[in-house]
Amino acid sequence: MCAYSPVVSARALTKRYGQTQAVRGIDFSIPAGECFGFLGVNGAGKTTTMKMIYCRIARTSGDLLVLGRDPARDAVAIKQRLGVVAQENDIDPELTVLENLLLYASFFGIGGAQARRRATELLDLLSLTGKERAQVKEISGGMKRRLVIARALVNDPEILVLDEPTTGLDPQARLLVWEKLGALREAGLTLLLTTHYMEEAARLCNRVAIIDEGRILALGTPFELIERFAAADVLELIDAADASALHEQLDGLVVRRERHGDTQYLFCRDSRELLRRLRDLGFDPPRHVARHATLEDVFLNLTGRELVE
Amino acid sequence: MNPVAAFFRPNAWRVFRRNLYAWQKYAWSSVAINIVEPFAYFLALGFGLGAYITFSGYGSLVQFMAPGFLGLTALNTATFDAAWGCYERRVTSGVYESMVTAPVDPMEIAAGEYLWEAFRSMLYGTLFLAVITGFGLVHSWWALCCPLVLALAGIVCAIPALLVSFVVKTQEHLFYYFSFVATPMVMISGVFFPLDKFPHWALVIAWLTPLYHAVNVFRALVMGTVGTGTLWELLWLFCAIIVLAFAPVVPVRTKLAT
Ligand SMILES: Nc1ncnc2c1ncn2[C@@H]1O[C@H](COP(=O)(O)OP(=O)(O)OP(=O)(O)O)[C@@H](O)[C@H]1O
Ligand SMILES: [Mg+2]
Repeated sequence: MCAYSPVVSARALTKRYGQTQAVRGIDFSIPAGECFGFLGVNGAGKTTTMKMIYCRIARTSGDLLVLGRDPARDAVAIKQRLGVVAQENDIDPELTVLENLLLYASFFGIGGAQARRRATELLDLLSLTGKERAQVKEISGGMKRRLVIARALVNDPEILVLDEPTTGLDPQARLLVWEKLGALREAGLTLLLTTHYMEEAARLCNRVAIIDEGRILALGTPFELIERFAAADVLELIDAADASALHEQLDGLVVRRERHGDTQYLFCRDSRELLRRLRDLGFDPPRHVARHATLEDVFLNLTGRELVE
Repeated sequence: MNPVAAFFRPNAWRVFRRNLYAWQKYAWSSVAINIVEPFAYFLALGFGLGAYITFSGYGSLVQFMAPGFLGLTALNTATFDAAWGCYERRVTSGVYESMVTAPVDPMEIAAGEYLWEAFRSMLYGTLFLAVITGFGLVHSWWALCCPLVLALAGIVCAIPALLVSFVVKTQEHLFYYFSFVATPMVMISGVFFPLDKFPHWALVIAWLTPLYHAVNVFRALVMGTVGTGTLWELLWLFCAIIVLAFAPVVPVRTKLAT
């Protein structure tokens, strides 16, 4: 077992930029080997939180320990053991793919044949073999993202911090990155990521925190969150008459109702049964979708849909 | 981290190597630009204007300007890259941003940049030295020490330029530094003409600028008039580097570590 459990812990952590309170007191702790995700709308404070963890910015108040150390005092020691994929690609545009990796490795004291070996391995791991001599300007956005991930792994980090690793990638490239991150997680690496893709969080993360306006609204496994803030199934009624009048007659089948624009969301144990009941009661929606609830429902319930009741 | 100690850290040399990797790809055009332009000025002024001018006690204009242009080359190469280049590496291309996610201290980045400017100044200045040697304008073996002094001059000119690159809001504001500081400094440093006829207050200002001292050293080395005065000039340059190195500490830290 790792000597540090948890590897990251925050208590009442805040960050203020001038007048903007970006993070307003968050608590979490991440054990070694976990994949932990932050979900939140634009401006929720995800990047700010990540930057405090990877020692790029100083916190305003609260406690933060990364690998048992305080970023305010031991930033260099922490960075030595961290891999970072920042939100903006910061690959050096004037260097080749290989030079980028070798230079970055040198900052960790890895040089010569060892650095070359490591670079070759990582290019292979992220399916970039053959691009060693390419100028960074010449490679595609998806390749750049994979190169940033490869670079973050040169020092064999204990925690990999990824700020929106797959934003802007096409579906194939995204699947490839998910597969690689999944393999790293299986190999025992602690992953900390932010994302706007619920599917990404559901696939990769053991636990997620939903963050909004600098506060954590909910934290748990995707399954727990779905149980708590949605239900097993959801029946979407599109352009239908308001079904709330039927509420009494549904015997509590509907555990939660939300509305967003023209769509009513009826959260329930079993959407087919609910639909059958609605039809028995003479309510026939023109269009509907019956499906399992997902993390996306949780996210929208917590951060955005108008609450009906 | 102490900005002077940062010069002796391995990471400073790694930052230097980053610039070397990038520079290698356009080395020839860079050499051409940094040599052809000063050389064109030198020829036009030295032989065109110089046909009408001699300075009593200093000889021809071309002879006077030859060592002065070593100082000018150091100033131009270091200032230009430390201002524009460092601004781009900090703001546009995210080079520093990636360095500080690795265990690189911001002061090591600054020191690496100064070392890089020392190299550029040394390289282009030495090429210029070769040219003036070809014209028979170098009169002493002391001139072999010029590359080291070029390195010092490069560092001392790079520090304020880097500082400015860290505080300006947009890249265009760098022109203020070129127009209000760098160019006037050239005019009062004895690059083009002797300062004997300057009023006392202007000499005091000249004495406060690093280029003036660098040019005095180059002139002594090229003409073979080295003496204890030259040592004092070198000492001034050393002290200036150590003192100036502290000036960018706060902006560099603020931009890259908070
Ligand atoms: N350097 C900065 N100076 C001032 N305000 C900032 C700075 N960086 C972020 N902010 C503000 O802090 C808040 C949180 O920003 P942050 O970048 O953490 O959001 P985010 O959750 O990562 O958003 P996104 O999904 O768009 O990346 C926003 O209101 C943002 O405007
Ligand atoms: Mg962000």
